[in-house]
Amino acid sequence: MNEKHPSKFPERPLDCLECKKPIVVVYTEIVGGVVNEVSMCADCPELRRRLYGGGGVGDEMMVVGSSGGVACGNCGTTLGAVRMGARLGCSVCYEVFADFLMGELLSSGRLPERLKGAKKSTPIHIGRSPGEVQQEINPALRLLALNDALSETLKREDYEQAAQLRDQIRALTEETETKGEQPPKSK
Amino acid sequence: MSNPQNPSKIFELAHPWAHNTNPIWLASTLSLKRNLDKFNFPAKLPVERRKQVISLVGRDLPKKPAFTLFKGEELSPLEKEFLAEHFLLQESIQQAHQGEAFLIDGTGETLIGLNIQDHLGLHLIEIHGEIESAWSKLAKIEGALSQNLSYAYNPAFGYLTSDATEAGTGLQVTAFLQLPALLHGGSLGEILSRLADDSIQTRSLMGDPDTFAGDLVLVSNRYALGVNEENILSSLRGFVTKLQAEEVSARKQLKSADNPHVKDQVARAFGIMVHSYQLEAVEVLTEISLLKLGLELGWLKGLSADDLNLLFFNSRRAHLLQNQEEKKLNQEEIPHKRAEFIHSKLKNIELLI
Repeated sequence: MNEKHPSKFPERPLDCLECKKPIVVVYTEIVGGVVNEVSMCADCPELRRRLYGGGGVGDEMMVVGSSGGVACGNCGTTLGAVRMGARLGCSVCYEVFADFLMGELLSSGRLPERLKGAKKSTPIHIGRSPGEVQQEINPALRLLALNDALSETLKREDYEQAAQLRDQIRALTEETETKGEQPPKSK
Repeated sequence: MSNPQNPSKIFELAHPWAHNTNPIWLASTLSLKRNLDKFNFPAKLPVERRKQVISLVGRDLPKKPAFTLFKGEELSPLEKEFLAEHFLLQESIQQAHQGEAFLIDGTGETLIGLNIQDHLGLHLIEIHGEIESAWSKLAKIEGALSQNLSYAYNPAFGYLTSDATEAGTGLQVTAFLQLPALLHGGSLGEILSRLADDSIQTRSLMGDPDTFAGDLVLVSNRYALGVNEENILSSLRGFVTKLQAEEVSARKQLKSADNPHVKDQVARAFGIMVHSYQLEAVEVLTEISLLKLGLELGWLKGLSADDLNLLFFNSRRAHLLQNQEEKKLNQEEIPHKRAEFIHSKLKNIELLI
């Protein structure tokens, strides 16, 4: 970079293109004769990675150098302990070790494929949230499962079993229809 | 909430699995983990604060179903083992002590572990393959508790748990399927890889990948985060339905082929169960499964599938001891007592092949 005094902040690192948080850190790195400047937000995981050598989200493998003893300020759980498989100590751990945990979940296959390499803005948790009214599970899900099993069975040419599955589908369909007409009986 | 003076009430729990006639789907367990906001998770929480969690939760329990509280330190090791067997728990609760407790409802179907790894571990067993309505039941209890308690939650990780692989929905659903025809007929591996679904994981009861104790294949959700509760239940329902259909076909094939190898295994299981002087628990679980298979294929008579399903629970260590007059037996005496107990239950069984 030739400009010594940029009129505006230098660009964010490539990983952070989606980030909408305000820039508060300008990170300057001098390697050999090359000066490199990037902008970051206050809680940029990239910043932490560069400072402490931890891995960023989306890395296939976590490359973690000496962690510099990163620990949760609330409960004292250390990154080292978490990496060894210790349980987390409090809610704050999830903020402090967020990148590491997300990386671990991804690399150990505990997150769906759709989240691999997904944009930062993609919501990760899509289950219930506090205060949400409980929804009954749609009975149609069961019909879908039976239909799937039926087509598998037909592929195997087990027609006797297919007939049984069809009976189950019919019974379930009738049950749902009658339920639709009358208020559901309490068990 | 009552606090009984005599914790041996544990042994008088209702038996929700007593009339289980399902030949394949033995049971399911649903577990939902929650932690309270403003408290460190149990591992980093002093005993005094853990006791506060217990009284907070106790105060806000729903009236229906009514729960009974059992404190960790008041339960004997045998009672804790009994609970783990009853609720088909995968984790050990043997160490549960001061600051840890259990809440059990009158039907014997719901257990709430307090401060066992997480502040709240809601655990439900059911035997009718009705995982969707079981989920509604569990969610209702969770909802009732949340009226006055606030749970640790963060928008990215969802509900926070002490084990990050459980965070998000905090929900773990497991179906216990007994698949003797696929296992002894040798086609299980091929079928599992054909049906493979990344949102589903399968394992054995003891965790050993090569030996399926009791011919049981445990099917559960792999993801707790990045999916919603409905996704979890529907993919499990889909996988289990297909696997059940495969087992039914395999059983039919065994019967029509008069498979001598499997016939021999059923006959041996009969011999071992009726004539042994000593029986080990794991051995019994697998023999029970073979007897169930024999019964369904018409190779045995004189008892029913629900007798055998009940035996599955009652021949495990703590259940067995609890049925004995003398609750303390030497470790060496147990296999013999188990054999005696099983003989008494299989009095009328007859081998027809």
